[in-house]
Amino acid sequence: MKKIKYISLILAIIIVGSCHKLDVPPLNIISESQVFSTANGVQAYIANMYTFLPMEDFVYEPDKGFLTGDGGRWQNFYQMDAIDGEMAGPYGGTGDAAQGFGLWPYDRIRNINILIYDLPKYASNYTADQVNEWLGEAYFCRAYTYFALVKRYGGVPIVRTVIDPAASAASLLVPRNTEEDVYNFIGSDLDSAYSLMWEPGSGGHPAIQQGAASKYAAMAYKSRVMLFAGSIAKYGAVNYVDGDARAKGFAGGMPAGDATKFFQAAYDAAKLVEGHFSLYTGGYPDKVQNYVDLFLKPNNEQIFIRQYSLSDPQRNNDNSGPHSYDATMTCRYMTADGLSRTYPSMDYAERFGALPIVNSDGTPVRFSDRADLMTALEPRLQATIYFPGATLRGLTFDVQRGTYKTFNGSAAQELSNNLNTPNDDPSNLLFASDPNQLYQNHRIVGLAGWNPSTGDDNTRTGLYLRKYVDYAKAQSACGLYQSAQSYIDMRYGEVLLNRAEAAFELGASLQADALSAINQLRDRAGAAPATVSMTIDTIRNERCKELGFEHQYWWDIRRWRTADQVLDNRKLYALLPYYVATENKYIFLKQVEPFQRTYTFQKKWYYEPLPGGELSKNPNLFPNNPGY
Amino acid sequence: MKKIIILGLGLLFIGASCTKVDNYPGPDSAFQGNIIDSVTGKNMLTETGGINIMLKQLSWSDNPDPYYIPSKPDGTFEDTRIFSGHYSVIPTQGPFWPADSIVTDIKGATTHNFTVVPYLEITNFTHVQAGDSLVMTCQLSAPRTVGLPQILEVWPFVNNTPFVGSGAYISQLTISDHNSPSYNLADINSTWNGGIATTTYKVVVHGLLNGRTYYARVGVRVNDSYKKYNLSEVAQVVMPPEK
Repeated sequence: MKKIKYISLILAIIIVGSCHKLDVPPLNIISESQVFSTANGVQAYIANMYTFLPMEDFVYEPDKGFLTGDGGRWQNFYQMDAIDGEMAGPYGGTGDAAQGFGLWPYDRIRNINILIYDLPKYASNYTADQVNEWLGEAYFCRAYTYFALVKRYGGVPIVRTVIDPAASAASLLVPRNTEEDVYNFIGSDLDSAYSLMWEPGSGGHPAIQQGAASKYAAMAYKSRVMLFAGSIAKYGAVNYVDGDARAKGFAGGMPAGDATKFFQAAYDAAKLVEGHFSLYTGGYPDKVQNYVDLFLKPNNEQIFIRQYSLSDPQRNNDNSGPHSYDATMTCRYMTADGLSRTYPSMDYAERFGALPIVNSDGTPVRFSDRADLMTALEPRLQATIYFPGATLRGLTFDVQRGTYKTFNGSAAQELSNNLNTPNDDPSNLLFASDPNQLYQNHRIVGLAGWNPSTGDDNTRTGLYLRKYVDYAKAQSACGLYQSAQSYIDMRYGEVLLNRAEAAFELGASLQADALSAINQLRDRAGAAPATVSMTIDTIRNERCKELGFEHQYWWDIRRWRTADQVLDNRKLYALLPYYVATENKYIFLKQVEPFQRTYTFQKKWYYEPLPGGELSKNPNLFPNNPGY
Repeated sequence: MKKIIILGLGLLFIGASCTKVDNYPGPDSAFQGNIIDSVTGKNMLTETGGINIMLKQLSWSDNPDPYYIPSKPDGTFEDTRIFSGHYSVIPTQGPFWPADSIVTDIKGATTHNFTVVPYLEITNFTHVQAGDSLVMTCQLSAPRTVGLPQILEVWPFVNNTPFVGSGAYISQLTISDHNSPSYNLADINSTWNGGIATTTYKVVVHGLLNGRTYYARVGVRVNDSYKKYNLSEVAQVVMPPEK
C-alpha cells in the first residue's frame, strides 16, 4: 500500500512536470533580438563583417586566399606581387596562382544581408543617424565583397535578400547576373553607403574610427570599382577570349560605349573624397623618411585600413592576429626568425628611369661604396626599396653576387644570357656558398645575399622591399607573428591616381585636372613634375610607381588587358653588385635573376574559372567563363 | 578476453559491410586520332600540348566538366583511359581557325581524325650553322587572310632533345625581351598583307656549344585567344667536335 502511494506520488510529479512546454529560447545560441537590440551587439556583428572582408592584405595568398586559419599564415612572401613581375618570389610562374582559389563568400554576404533586413526592426532602440551609419557600413561591406567577386569572375549571382534555406530549389539556385549588372549593383550599394552614413567629425558625430569605413571610404572605393569597370569595358572590347559566357555578358562583352559612363562615375566619386583626406607630409622635409612613415604611422592619407593585434587571443588563427611582414621581407641576417623569399625586380626600379650603372662608353660605373648608387635616385624609390648599401637595424645590406678578380670591357657583354663572355671565366669570376669565404680578405658574396646555397632565402634580385617594413623595431622583435603594422587597403594617393586616370580617359576637357593630381603625387615623391605632354602611359606608370607592392598591379594589368603582353615569356631582371678585386671597387650589372623564371599570362586568365564545387551545386551558374 | 575477441570480430564484420560495390564501368575505352593540317593534308606540326582536344561527356551530365587530351609532338592524340559514353569533341587551344565540334560515341578503341585550318603555314624553312650561331629563315603563307588576327612575331626555338617548341627550349638562346640588346625574334606585329607573303624572315641564335647536337625550329603566332604557335619542321644541328 505504502509502495503504491509512493509510486503514484512520483508518477504525479513526473506527469505534472511534463506539462512544461519545451519551447524556450536555447541558451547556447544568441538570438537575433539579443544581437540587434543593443549597441554592443550590433557593433560586434559589424566588427565580424570587417574581419572577414575579402581584403588582399599582408597574409592574403593569391592561390590560397584569405588565410583566416593557421598554417602558412606567416608566409607573407606568397603574395600577388610575386606572380605579376613586380617581384621575383617563391612562385614558379604566373600560372601558379592566376586561377585563384575559388573565392565564393556568399555566407558572408548572407550575414550582411541579415543585418540590412533585420536591424531596422530594432530601430526604435537607437537614433536614426546611428541606424543609418550601421546600415551604411553594411552596404559598404556588401559592395566590397561583390567587387572581390566581379573582378575575378565577371558576373555572379546578385543576392540582396536573406534567402530562406527551406525555399524552393528554383529560388535557391540563383542564376548569374551580367557583369554590367553587378558593377551597377556595387555602384548603387556604395551610393547607399555614402548617403546613409554621417559626416564624420561634425554635427556631434565621432571622427572616422580606424579600421572602419566612412562615407568617404565608400566614394574612394567607388572610384576604384568604376575605374575597373570602365577599363574592362574599353579594353575588354578588343582583347578577349570568346565564348558563351562572353556572348551572354557574364565575362566580358560589356559594350565599349559603357566605358565613358563608368569613367565618369569613377571621376565623380574620387572628386567627392577631395578635402577629407590628404597626402601625408608629416615627415617633411626629408621626403624619403616621409614616404617610409606613410606606411607605418597613422595619418590622414589612410582611408581604410586593417589593424592587427599582438595580443589577439587567437594569435595565429584569425584575421586580426599579428602578421609576419618584418620577418619575411628581409633576410634572416636582419630578423629574428623566418626567412624572406620575395624581392623587388629591377624592372620595377627602372620604372623610375634607367639606373646610372653604365658609363657612356658602355663600361660599368665603378663605385667605392655600393650605397652611392641609391642616393641619386628619386626619394620615393629609395623609400620603397632597400638598395645595396642601405642599412636597417644597424646592419648593412651588403648584397654582392660575386667577385671579379679583374673586369675589362663593357657591361652589356656580361649579360647572363650571353654565354662565353670574356670576364665570366671560373678562374676570374668567383662565387661562394658561404659569405665567410674570402678572397684577398674581402667577402666573395654578401651576408645579405646572394648566396646560392641558401636558395631564395636572400635576395635574388639584389633588392629588398622597404615599403611597410618597420625600421624602428629591434631585430629581436622581428620574429614570426610579431608584426602589427596596419595594412592600408585604400589611401588618398590611390584616389588621386583613380581620378587622374578616369579624367584622362574621359578626354581633353579634364586633362588639366589629371595633370594636377599626378603632380601632387610627384611633389610628395620628390620627383620632377609631369608636363602637359603627359600620356595615358605616364599616368599608368605613375600608378605603378606609387602603388608598387601594394597588391594593385596584378589587377591593373588585368583591367588594362595588358597582362598577356607584359607577362609574355617574361624574365625578371636583377641589379647585381659585384666586387672587382684589382680595383677595390663595386660594379652593378643588370642580369636576369638567377632562377631565370618565366612569367606568362594566358588570356583566359582575365577571368578566373567559377569554382567547380559551386557549378555542380547550381546549374544556373553555367556557362563557365571562356577557356575553362 | 574471449568477449573482446568476439566484439572485435563483430566490429570487423560491421565495418566490412560498409564498403559499397562500385558498379560503374571503369574508364576502359580509348580515344585517339590525328590532327590534320587542311593545307598539307598531313598531321599538324605541333608540340606536346600545342593543341588540346576537348571532350564533354554528354551522357554524364547536362553541364559536363571539360576534359582535355593534349596533342603529341607528331600531331596525334591518344588517351587510353576514357569512360565509354556519348561525347561532344572539339580540337581547340591551338594555332588554327575555330573548328567545329563533333558528337560521337566513344566505346572501345575509337578513332577520329580532325582537320583544321591553320592560321599560318611556315614554308621554305632553312637553317645554316656557322661558328656558334644558327641562322634560320622561313616564309609565311596564310590559308585564310580575311579576319586573320594580328601576326605577332617569328620565334627561334632550340633544344638539346628532339622535343623542341615553345614549351621546351633553351631559354638563354631565345631572347624575347624587347629591351635586351640580344633580342632575337623577328617582329611582324601586323595584320596580314602582301608584304608578309613575300618576306623571308630570318632569326639568328648565338651561343651554341661545340660537341653538342641541337634540334631547332621556328614558330609564329597570332594574337588570338590562345597565342599558340604554328611551327616548322625540326632541324637537327650537329656541331663540330670540341677542340
